[in-house]
Amino acid sequence: MRSTMRVRVARVLGAGALVAALLLPAAAPVAAQDEHILRVGTTQDLDSMNPWQTALVVGFEVFTLNYDLLVNFGSNLEPVPGFAESWSQSEDGLTWTFKMREGMLWSDGEPATAEDARWTFQFVLDGINSEDGFIGLGYLDYYVGDAGVTAVEAPDATTLVVTTDRPNDQILRTYVPILPKHVWEDVTLAAVADFQNTPTVVGSGPYQAVEWQTGQFIRFAKNPNYWKDAGGAEEVIIQIFSSADTMVQALRTGQLDYAHGVNADQFDALATEAGIVTVEGSANGFTEFGFNTYGTGTGNTIPDGGPSTPALLDAAFRDAVGYAIDKELLVDRVLGGYGTVGSTQVPPFQTQYHVEPTTPRTFDLELARSKLDAAGYALDSNGTRLDKEGNPLNLRLFMPDSESTYPAAAQFIQDWLGELGIGVSTEVFDSQTLTDIMLPPEAGDYTADYDLFIWGWGGDVDPNSLLSIFGCEQIGSTSDSQYCNPAYDTLFEEQNVATSTEERRAIIAEMQNIFYDDAPYHVLFYDSTLAAYRTDRFEGWTNQPTEDGAPLFGYGSTGYTLLTTVGAEPSPDASETAAPSGAPATAAPEPSADAGTTSGISPALLAGIVLAVIAVVAVLLVRRRRTPVGEEE
Amino acid sequence: MGSGYLGRRLFQALLTIVMIVLLNFILFRMMPGSPERAALRIPGVSQEVFENTRARLGLDKPVFPDQLVAYITSTAQGDLGYSYKYRGQPVAEVIGQRVWPTLILFGLGEIVAIVVGLTLGAYSGWRRGGAIDYVGNGLSLILYSMPYFLLGMILLVIFAVGLGWFPVSGMFTLGQSYPSFADQLFDFGTHLALPLATVSLGLIGQYSILMRSSVIETLGEDYVTTARAKGISETRVMTRHAVPNAMLPTVSLIAINLGYLIAGAITAEVVFNWPGLGTLTVDALTSRDYPVLQGVFLFLSISVVLANLAADAVYGVLDPRVKG
Repeated sequence: MRSTMRVRVARVLGAGALVAALLLPAAAPVAAQDEHILRVGTTQDLDSMNPWQTALVVGFEVFTLNYDLLVNFGSNLEPVPGFAESWSQSEDGLTWTFKMREGMLWSDGEPATAEDARWTFQFVLDGINSEDGFIGLGYLDYYVGDAGVTAVEAPDATTLVVTTDRPNDQILRTYVPILPKHVWEDVTLAAVADFQNTPTVVGSGPYQAVEWQTGQFIRFAKNPNYWKDAGGAEEVIIQIFSSADTMVQALRTGQLDYAHGVNADQFDALATEAGIVTVEGSANGFTEFGFNTYGTGTGNTIPDGGPSTPALLDAAFRDAVGYAIDKELLVDRVLGGYGTVGSTQVPPFQTQYHVEPTTPRTFDLELARSKLDAAGYALDSNGTRLDKEGNPLNLRLFMPDSESTYPAAAQFIQDWLGELGIGVSTEVFDSQTLTDIMLPPEAGDYTADYDLFIWGWGGDVDPNSLLSIFGCEQIGSTSDSQYCNPAYDTLFEEQNVATSTEERRAIIAEMQNIFYDDAPYHVLFYDSTLAAYRTDRFEGWTNQPTEDGAPLFGYGSTGYTLLTTVGAEPSPDASETAAPSGAPATAAPEPSADAGTTSGISPALLAGIVLAVIAVVAVLLVRRRRTPVGEEE
Repeated sequence: MGSGYLGRRLFQALLTIVMIVLLNFILFRMMPGSPERAALRIPGVSQEVFENTRARLGLDKPVFPDQLVAYITSTAQGDLGYSYKYRGQPVAEVIGQRVWPTLILFGLGEIVAIVVGLTLGAYSGWRRGGAIDYVGNGLSLILYSMPYFLLGMILLVIFAVGLGWFPVSGMFTLGQSYPSFADQLFDFGTHLALPLATVSLGLIGQYSILMRSSVIETLGEDYVTTARAKGISETRVMTRHAVPNAMLPTVSLIAINLGYLIAGAITAEVVFNWPGLGTLTVDALTSRDYPVLQGVFLFLSISVVLANLAADAVYGVLDPRVKG
C-alpha cells in the first residue's frame, strides 16, 4: 500500500517537474557544438545494420541513408532518381529499363554499376524462389514479388532490364536497398541473417554508418562519392533516447537538431518556443479497437480458448457496437487533437488509395441499442445485454503497455459499451505477453483467448502491407482479429495484379468498404507523428509529403539531402529532381571510422578513470595507516 | 580472521553463482512471450519467418535437455551467446559496451556517498541536536525518500535546461573531436556531473541516516563511557571507539545495496540517457532477449556475491569477533 502510494505521489511530482521543465526558459544552446553535425533523436532502438534483418522505422531510416533504393522517394513520394538515374517502361508494359550513371562509385571507391543492382534483385528473386520463400525477416522481398518481377539482366554497366509478369509500376516503389556486390556476394541466403554489416558500411547513399553503439547512437559520415552534391551535414548522428522527456530537453538546449516522436503535451509547449519548429506529420498507420472473430469464414473453434461469445463472430453485432464509439471525442481527448478520426484500414496518408466508407457510422447510442435489439441481442430484466445463447455479454478488452493512448481510449469504450448493457473488463499486458495470448492454434500451442483489443499498425508507401493483415492465411502470423473472408482475399489477389492504377484503386476501395462494413476492427484514429526541429544550424527542412508529412523518418533519405547549413549557399542541384547526368564522381577517400573521434569510452579514458580511483583509494589507505595506533585502550 | 572462514565463504559464493546460472535460465523462459516475435509486429510477415527465426535462435529444440545443456556448456566456457534483439551480436560485446558506464557512475556514486554520507551521519550523531544534525538529518530524509528519476529530473531542469551548466544527456558530446585527452575527460566530467549527483545524493541520505542512529547507539555503550572516564579527548573517543563500531551495520547495508543499485540505475540512467546496464536490462526484457538477460544477471549476481565477500572480509577486519 505504502509503496504504491509513494509511487503515485512520485509520479505526480515527476509530472509536475516535467511541466515546470517545459515552462522554464531554456538556457542558450551550447555554442561549442560543431555546426556541421546533424543530430537526430528518436526513442526507437536500432536492432540491426543489416537491411534484411530490421523491421523498425529507425532501421529503415538507417539503411536508406546507407544505400540508395533503385528509385528513391521524392518530397511528395513521387519516384525520383536513386541508384538509377532514369527509367522507361516498354510498350507492352512488361519490361522496365533502368539507366545508371556513368562512373558512379560506392563509398569505398569501387565502381557502382548496373551489375550491383542486378545482383541485389537476383538475390531477392533467389530468396523468393528458395525453400523458405523469403530473405531475413521476409520484410523486403515481397516488394519485388508484388511487382511481379520474373527476371533481371544487366546487358552493360549502365543498363538494368527488369521483366515483370504483368504491366504495373510497383517496381518504382520497391523498398529494396541496392547493395554493393563486392561486399555482399559471398553472403549466402542461408547466412544472410547472421551478416552483421558492421560499420564502416559501404553504400551509395548520402551518408554511411561509421560507428554504432547499440542502444546509444549511430554515427554516419558523408559519402564523398555520392552522385549528387547534397546534404549540408558532414556527419549525421542518430541518437537513441530511453525517455522522450529527456529527448525534448536535449532539443531545447541545442544538443539535438531534430526530435522524432514527441509526446502531445511536450509538443504544445515546444510550439511556442523560439527557434524550434514543430511538425505534425500525418500518420501512415492507425490505432484500432478490434474483435476476436476466430472461426469466421472457417467455422473452426478452440477448446479452452477463442472468443468468449459467438456474438463477436457476428458482423451485425460488431457493426452495432461501432455506433457506440465517439471517434471525434477520442481524437480530441486521447490524442489532444493530434490525429484524425479513423475509418478504413488504408490511412488517408495514402491519398491515392484511401476512400471514406460508403455507409459511415455516426455516434448514436440509441441507434446502437436498437441495432443490437434488431440483431437478436436483447436486454434482460437487469439491463444486461445477452448473446443469442442467452448468456450475459461480459467481454475482455486487452491492450499492450506500449502506448498511453490505449488505456485512455479503453476507458471511454468501457463506458460506452456499458451504456449498451455490455460489460467490459480491461487488462494491460506487455506486448510479448499479449502476443502470446492472442495467437491462435494455427501458430502452435496457443488458444487466442481474448475478446476485444486495442493496438496499432504502421504502414508502407504501398497499401499492400496494411491490406494483407486481414487475409485468411495471416491467421497464425500477423492477423490479430482472426478475420477470414474469402471474398476479401480474392480482391487482394486481384488488386495485386491490377494492370492500371485506376483498376487497383477501385478494387482497394471495395476492400476498404468490406472491411468497414464487416468491422473486424473499428479503426479509432490515425494518430499523427509529432516531431520538432531547431532552425539555428540547419535550414531547408522539407516535409515529406510536403503537405502533411515531417522532414525526417519518412521514406528514404531525401529529407537529409535537402538540408543546408545556416548561411551556406544552397547548391544548384540540391533539388532531387535535378540529378546531374553522367558527371563522373572523382575518387575521394572513403569515410573512415575515425573521421571524428570515437564517442564511446576509449581505453585511455577508462585507464585514466581507474587510475584516478586507485589513487584516491591509495591515499585514503596510506593516511589510515599513518594514523598512530591507539596506545591507551 | 582465519583462512577457514574465508575459504568457507568462497565456497558458498561459488555455489551461489552456480545456482544463479541455473535460475537465470529457468526464470526467463518461464515468462510468457516469444523472442522470435518481439519487435516483429509488422504487417506481411509470414508464419515461416517466425518458424525460421525460432530455429535460428535454437528455440525449436526442447528446453530440457537440449537448450539447457547448450546454455550450460557455453556459459562454462565463458561464451554468453548472441543477442536476439541485436540480431546476432555477441552478448559479451553488447554488455561490454554498457558495463563501464554503469560501473563508473555507480562506483563513483558509492564512493562519494560513503565518504560524505558516513561523515555527515557520524558528525550528526556525535553533535546530536546541533545545526548540522538538524539540517543534515532533514535533508537526508528528503533525499532518502525521493526516487532517483524525480531527483534527476529536478537537477536536470535546474542545472542543464535552466542554467545550462551541464549537458542534458548522454556520456559524451556525440561527434565531437577532442584536441587532447584532457578535453575528452572534461567533456566526460560535465556529462557525468548530474547523474553522479543524482546517484550520490540519493545514497548519501540513506547512509547518513543509518550512520547517525548507529553512532548514537554506540555512544551510549559502556566502553565509550569507560573511554571518556579515562580522560581521552572527545575526538579520539569518536574516531577510535564509537565510529569503528558504528561502521558495522553500514558495511552490510553498502554490500546489500549493490544489488539494489541496478534498480536505481534503471531510472537514473533513463532520465540522463546514460548508456548503462539499467537501460539495457529494460530493453532486453521487453524484447525477450534471453541471452542478454542471462548475461546481465550473471554479471550482476557475481558483483553482488563479490561485494558480499568483500563485506565479509571487511567485517573480519572491523570486528575481531568474526573469526574462522
